[in-house]
Amino acid sequence: MKTDKPLKPLMHSVYIAENDLRQSFKSVRHVVWSLLFPIFMMFTFSFRYGAIGPDPLFINFLIPGIVGMTAMFGSTNETMSIVWDKSLGVFDRILAAPVSSSSIIVGKTMAGAVMGVISALVLLVIGNLLFHVSFPNIALVLIVVALASFSFTGIGTIISGLASEPREAMMLSNLLRFPMMFLGGVFFQVESMPMPLPYVARALPLTYATEGLRAVMSGNMAVVLLDAIALVAYTIGTMLVGSTTLMKIMTR
Amino acid sequence: MPNESAIEVSNLTKYYGKLLAVDQVSFVVKGKELFGLLGPNGAGKTTTIRMICGMLRPTGGTVVVAGFDVSQKPEEVKRRIGLVPDVSNLFGELSARVNLEFMGKLYGLDKRTRRERIDQVLDLFQLRERQNDLVKYYSKGMHRRLTIAAALVHEPEILIMDEPTSGLDAQTARLVREIIIDLNKKGRTVLLTTHQIEEADRLCQRIGIIDRGHLIALNTPEELKNSVEGQRALEIKVMNGVDEQRWVPILKEAEGVDHVLLAEGKIRVLSKDLPHVIPTVVNLLDKHGGKIENISVAQPTLEDAFINLTGKSIREEPMSKEDYLKRRLARSGMR
Repeated sequence: MKTDKPLKPLMHSVYIAENDLRQSFKSVRHVVWSLLFPIFMMFTFSFRYGAIGPDPLFINFLIPGIVGMTAMFGSTNETMSIVWDKSLGVFDRILAAPVSSSSIIVGKTMAGAVMGVISALVLLVIGNLLFHVSFPNIALVLIVVALASFSFTGIGTIISGLASEPREAMMLSNLLRFPMMFLGGVFFQVESMPMPLPYVARALPLTYATEGLRAVMSGNMAVVLLDAIALVAYTIGTMLVGSTTLMKIMTR
Repeated sequence: MPNESAIEVSNLTKYYGKLLAVDQVSFVVKGKELFGLLGPNGAGKTTTIRMICGMLRPTGGTVVVAGFDVSQKPEEVKRRIGLVPDVSNLFGELSARVNLEFMGKLYGLDKRTRRERIDQVLDLFQLRERQNDLVKYYSKGMHRRLTIAAALVHEPEILIMDEPTSGLDAQTARLVREIIIDLNKKGRTVLLTTHQIEEADRLCQRIGIIDRGHLIALNTPEELKNSVEGQRALEIKVMNGVDEQRWVPILKEAEGVDHVLLAEGKIRVLSKDLPHVIPTVVNLLDKHGGKIENISVAQPTLEDAFINLTGKSIREEPMSKEDYLKRRLARSGMR
């Protein structure tokens, strides 16, 4: 009976993702607040040279980094909504429905990825309007941003599986995201960091996201491809870990 | 319904780590029956319900719902059950209609059916005018009505309700009870849990009494009351009685008294030998300065039956640390 509708589990995921995003965009404040942080970081670091104003070369380095970072925050925040859902009891609503656990995980992942892409795009537009940073190949930028967003959702699901309540999730996520923000090549070049930090950076998905976006700008397609592969690998890896930790709480 | 039994629970057991929450519980809910699980907080009611709904994996035992084993066909079971949890768990940032739409989608209803059913339940629960308001602005009673409505959108054969009236004001509680009776009359099987004896007595056709994870009795309310055979109750109202609690230890010591409890400002003395107990009790009250305003012999109630079975009153039981832990484990999503 199940085989005649192979699309049904996928539709469940789409409904779950849709419902998640609907809630996130319902409260405008929520969206604005979450975007204020990367915007603030963008301004802070763009004036690195004091009163002279943004350094045109550095801004070209900074904006792709900020875009990647925004994707990370948007995507993990959205996926972590599972913890809030759990504490409010609304997660039970989904658990009680005839929906498979994998549909739930895929749905949450989809919501996270979409949120990551949307927030990254907002920062991209701001960067373009204020600092005239433009990407030559917007389609490729979209692909890299999407891959990056997917790779970050795994972090959100892992945290959701580990944290028992929202405060714990916030703490855990900041523990992971802030070091990643500074080590992932957003503000400094990964290669210019002291040893062994470049190796640490290579273990972080954000490094590949920022590097990939910069490579799109400079037109270095080989690097783009390598980074894309790394992000896909990361996505698969973290999704596997994330779904096993989540699965544990869903099918006790 | 083709099969006689809607829910068959056999030897259901759940351990949270080393903590035993439900121990070898077995019962059958017949089709179209209104069945109640009665027990104090931490007795294992919510844990049992969550296992029936396929949201919690049992440590042992089986659950068969409408002919489907929960552990093998969880989705078939979930499709046939409408669950009303003890706390209203709706999406506060969304409107009532969008909440119901989401439920309809998850249960695989097409667009037209969804619209029809949602209109139906909104009318049934008188929420039509407020359907586009965000749920977070709803009153407690509206929340509860919408929670029940959300469980009915997919027209389940079986409705499972966890403490449907707890935390509601008297008026809303009455409304919810009427809704439950009405739904049952229209042919739905209802399984509910409650820690309120009056509620179980008033609503349920059969009651299972659950205490510390054990199902200790299962019968109709009438039969349960009859089980208090030979035991009768003496109801005493003391003049200017503010501190009735102080009489409990005094009267408990009297010969022939089985149990003493307080109910609605009255002292209730249970005994198998009332003729001898009455003078003793009157003397004791007199000796300690209590003036009797009213004294009468009462019919045994379900509460009396409960005390006889469990050795304690359902009301006076404060929640132990272990019970609290079990409650948290049953409701949170954590191991």
